Amino acid sequence: MNVTLAVKQYVSKMIENSGPGMKVLLMDKETTSIVSVVYTQSEILQKEVYLFERIDSQNRDSMKHLKAICFLRPTKENVENLIQELRRPKYSVYFIYFSNVISKSEIKALAEADEQEVVAEVQEFYGDFVALNPHLFSLNLQGVSRGRSWEPSILPRATQGLTSVLLALKKCPMIRYQLSSDMSKRLAECVKQIITKEYELFDFRKTEVPPLLLILDRSDDAITPLLNQWTYQAMVHELLGLNNNRIDLSRVPGISKDLREVVLSAENDEFYANNLYLNFGEIGTNIKNLMEDFQKKKPKGQQKLESISDMKAFVDNYPQFKKMSGTVSKHVTVVGELSRLVSERCLMEVSEVEQELACQNDHSNAQQNVRRLLQNPRLAEVDAVRLVMLYALRYERHSNSILPSLLDELQRKGVSERYRKMVQSMVEYGGKRVRGSDLITPTDAVAITKQFFKGLKGVENVYAQHQPLLHETLDQLIKGKLKDSQFPYLGPNALRDRPQDIIVFMIGGATYEEALTVYNLNRTMPGVRIVLGGTTIHNTKRFFFIKNQSRSTVYGKLKNK
Amino acid sequence: MASGYPPSLEGPVEVKEGFLCPLCLKDLQSFYQLQDHYEEEHSEDVRHVPGQLKSLVQKVKKAKDKLLKQDGDDRNESSYESFYCGGVDPYMWEPQELGATRSHLDIFKKHRAARIDHYVIEANKRIIRLEKLTSFDRTNMDAGKIRAMEKSVVSWVNDSDVPFCPDCGGKFNIRNRRHHCRLCGSIMCSKCMEFIPLPVAYKLTSGTREALCVPAGSPGQTQPPGAAGPAGQPASRRGSITSLSSVSSVLEEKDDDRIRCCRHCMDALLKQQEKLEEKDHVPDIVKLYEKLRLCMDQVNKKAPEYIRMAESLNAGETAYNLDIAGGLRTEVQKYYELIDALSKKILTLGMKEDPQPHPKTLQLQRMVRYTATLFIQEKLLGLMSLPTKEKYEELKEKWKEEQERRLQQERQAASEAQKRRSELEKNRPRLAANGDARPARITKGVGWLPSSDAVHRGGGELDDPLLQQISNIESFLRQARAAGRLDEVATLEDNLRQLLDEYDLQQTSHAILLSQQLAQEESLQQEPRQRSRNPGFAVQGGEDGDDDDEEQQRDVRSKHSESPKMQTLAIKSFPPLGESPPTTDAPSLNPFDEEDSTPLEEERSNPFTEEIQKEQASATPRDKREYNPFEEEEDASTWEVGANPFEEDDDDDEEDDDEFGTGNPFQEGPGHAHTASTNPFDDDNDASVSYEVIEEELLLQQIDNIRAYIFDAKRSGRSDEVELLAENLRDLQRTLQEQKRKPR
Repeated sequence: MNVTLAVKQYVSKMIENSGPGMKVLLMDKETTSIVSVVYTQSEILQKEVYLFERIDSQNRDSMKHLKAICFLRPTKENVENLIQELRRPKYSVYFIYFSNVISKSEIKALAEADEQEVVAEVQEFYGDFVALNPHLFSLNLQGVSRGRSWEPSILPRATQGLTSVLLALKKCPMIRYQLSSDMSKRLAECVKQIITKEYELFDFRKTEVPPLLLILDRSDDAITPLLNQWTYQAMVHELLGLNNNRIDLSRVPGISKDLREVVLSAENDEFYANNLYLNFGEIGTNIKNLMEDFQKKKPKGQQKLESISDMKAFVDNYPQFKKMSGTVSKHVTVVGELSRLVSERCLMEVSEVEQELACQNDHSNAQQNVRRLLQNPRLAEVDAVRLVMLYALRYERHSNSILPSLLDELQRKGVSERYRKMVQSMVEYGGKRVRGSDLITPTDAVAITKQFFKGLKGVENVYAQHQPLLHETLDQLIKGKLKDSQFPYLGPNALRDRPQDIIVFMIGGATYEEALTVYNLNRTMPGVRIVLGGTTIHNTKRFFFIKNQSRSTVYGKLKNK
Repeated sequence: MASGYPPSLEGPVEVKEGFLCPLCLKDLQSFYQLQDHYEEEHSEDVRHVPGQLKSLVQKVKKAKDKLLKQDGDDRNESSYESFYCGGVDPYMWEPQELGATRSHLDIFKKHRAARIDHYVIEANKRIIRLEKLTSFDRTNMDAGKIRAMEKSVVSWVNDSDVPFCPDCGGKFNIRNRRHHCRLCGSIMCSKCMEFIPLPVAYKLTSGTREALCVPAGSPGQTQPPGAAGPAGQPASRRGSITSLSSVSSVLEEKDDDRIRCCRHCMDALLKQQEKLEEKDHVPDIVKLYEKLRLCMDQVNKKAPEYIRMAESLNAGETAYNLDIAGGLRTEVQKYYELIDALSKKILTLGMKEDPQPHPKTLQLQRMVRYTATLFIQEKLLGLMSLPTKEKYEELKEKWKEEQERRLQQERQAASEAQKRRSELEKNRPRLAANGDARPARITKGVGWLPSSDAVHRGGGELDDPLLQQISNIESFLRQARAAGRLDEVATLEDNLRQLLDEYDLQQTSHAILLSQQLAQEESLQQEPRQRSRNPGFAVQGGEDGDDDDEEQQRDVRSKHSESPKMQTLAIKSFPPLGESPPTTDAPSLNPFDEEDSTPLEEERSNPFTEEIQKEQASATPRDKREYNPFEEEEDASTWEVGANPFEEDDDDDEEDDDEFGTGNPFQEGPGHAHTASTNPFDDDNDASVSYEVIEEELLLQQIDNIRAYIFDAKRSGRSDEVELLAENLRDLQRTLQEQKRKPR
């Protein structure tokens, strides 16, 4: 059930299959991200892969002494490019792997182009998704919806991505979907169709309890992506933007050249692996420890190196030392930048109000706080808009709603019209009318008492009161209590036992907060393994534009600010 | 910090509990560390408790199941699973198999084969025609005759059938005349026409003729691309195409040194030519790279061996010889130097040439260099140093003392254990009453479950596995008694008795063994002490040349007796008497001798001096200081030194590479690798005849290998190879039979 490992094993197998010798990895845009997320350069270099090329790149020289490993999505353009490549091969031998099902006719076209007999392997390796963590994958798809239904070009890609996850994990699941969302149903049907069509592929060893695929829609919980996050990974994504586990630090003032772009991968960064789910305060302590450790190990000047045993120790420790120094400077920079942003944008205050909006039911208090914060000149545009959005979603139907005056306030603050319009579109996207399950006010007795107990216990951490809706959904699912009326099975069969292997897919994108939730569920629930996926991984900025796929350029502009 | 993946809600203190070793309660930081620890430290517990005990345990039928289960649970669950309220961290999900895959190779090959047949026939036809067209003497023939000859090779398409040029669509008229392709007979206009220069045609038609024709061909004319220089193939190839077209524009009608053809034929021919060139041409980078990989393999093989030796020597043990380790160290370091030099050479390949290589080529070279650097950094810097001779003596003393102490401790422990055992016997009822011993758990389906409390209580003290086992069984006995299982009590008591006997036996034999070892050691140490009386051996830096030479000679001698490889090495590094300056050879054995040098420098400079000395054996002693070891190494001796193993290995590589079909530059031609002389397995067979005794194991291994090869070959449909391999397999099996028949 480890998606990172699944992709990694595919790539290793490809390299292994090609035997010894210098190799080039030929990829397309998407497979480049797929591979780069699970493998670091030095790791893959050790396997004699020295060049990484795009199949559509014109600037490639003929190098007959290289073997080419092609890892491509089975798209029309890729097949066409590959045909051209095979007609005039630039490398000695080609090992071709498609990341998904490819048609027989395309195989034929490729075979006919291979006049020089350079192809040694043609296979399907189902690594058609970006594996961010062992339990988290993304398809890197933006703008998936058009109104309340799928953007026609995206649905096939989402289906491919999701089926490839199933194939990579060797799961032939039963499917449940969210009834209130047409998109969920459509996707569920498409996946089912593929499973039926490619039944030979999905013929895996039967497990006692069949695995389960649960398809959900983001619009059911529009609040989670709007909240500020305080765990390391989520925070980095929210404030700096994680893209395929990479962050762009070029905008950080006074950044050194080799830290412009850094990779945060739990696979080979021990500190990150240990801290990615810890909150900001804990990271502060840990980074201090890391520094102290580093200073202890760091040879202090020349005088300390004088004794031979010192030097010996230094040399013996050198590789670790070097690795560690890289880790230290990276995390110090990242954490430093995070804390700079936090204080600059008053994120502690903002977050407190956000959490209050999301978790408590006190309108007068909430509206006062929102108003007060909007007055604060240091409040960033994004934060202002998201507070208003949260308010709008939360008190959508409240009789004393002050939304209009808040919108005026935004205008006075100089927030652009585009942003102000987004508040309304967000309500359209995730408002009450759309929601299938009750996001905000629990209605049944159990939930109310739960809420009550929560109140009694007191809040441990004001910045982490919010639990995403996904937690509740999965909890119910694991306990076998998730209502069939809201999340029906596709097809006549229903799961009798409690599910064990669960794949959750969030149409419209998941968040790192949800990833954390799933992570914790995995750790606390015996015998349950959950993998979370989404069309993308959101932070607030990305989420703003969920409805406006045509404005992907806008997103780019926003990023550059 | 490294405490696994602590839950955000729980404190780090709690986490630590999760990774305690269940046997010795040592606190470990992560699950993996724990597992490693368990495997390293406690696996012997399993191993040491030999078959004797296993059979005992088997007798205790019911209890056995429980016991094993308990042990298994200890190993897996208590380490991580049970701790987090039953859940598992996604980072620790059990390993999984490779995801689903589907191969299309069969369909692909089917379609390709159909197409290739057609393609190959066409290509062959073209070559045959080209050969016919070049078979007569063109220069001394008039145009009409040439035309007639050309027409006889292929039937020309009727002029009237083709009103427009099929390639560009231009209408044919008086000014735009029709031309026929001499290879396929089709028609095109003059703009779409191409010419094959005769040298190229010769080259294409016959590889054997090429060698004679190319130098004889008119030198002022277009030079055949093959002769344009070995390094810059891409540039020269492009050059050849342009020069072809320039020729076609200059000359109009006289076809005495070229052959007209259509674009399509030209295209196909050019491709063929390209292929022909590649077949014989192995780029420099490949040659260098193969050597580089070989060195890396050697390092991977030798470095762990060396580290094992060095560790043992540094601990003062006598299992390995200091000189051998020193030799190995120099050898490994030499490989590092080679890797460094080779990768540097790869990096600078083609840099000085006028048209700079393609940026991607440069990138490739940079990447190879980078990888080599990483490799060196990772491996070389982990190479620990050896103790000096004096230090080694000291260490040996220490080790001996330690051994003695340990022996004593063991004796003491034995007597203590004896005492404790009797005490335990006495105290047992009281302990049980106190609740100190865990009461036997009684579960529904199982009856009772013995929990080995002794393991937790006294694990640290009872380091003998047998002792542990004894105390375990004692505790089981107690529990069984408490649970009133009389039959089990009886069997357990029986076991206990046997175990105790076994333990006593072991102790006595152990003591005997140790005393023997001690005696041996003492006799061993006599020898070096005598040696160290020799002044040449105590390296103090103030020695004169004679002593050094003497020492080196001894080194040579000692190496000589160790291994032939070492011998050649040492001889090379041995400077001729009188001619060489008295450079100290000692640093190679004693890197930390000089106080003011850094170890890094020492490590690097050592092989250099070695190298320099080697050079001095052949070169003049004048330029000994300004020497750049890298340059020399690349140019002269080192290649030769390395030449033999490389060649041998090339064969292997070819064998592996062969499955990738034709057009592979690493390989000279299809079927080449299968000839008897280059087949590595044949070599093995020959060797097997010459050697009187062969390790049976080796043979078996070889057979397994070949089986794997056969399977592989079958799978990829190389039937010829399968046959050959099968033959080899039969041979090997025959040898094996003979081997077995031979009386030992």
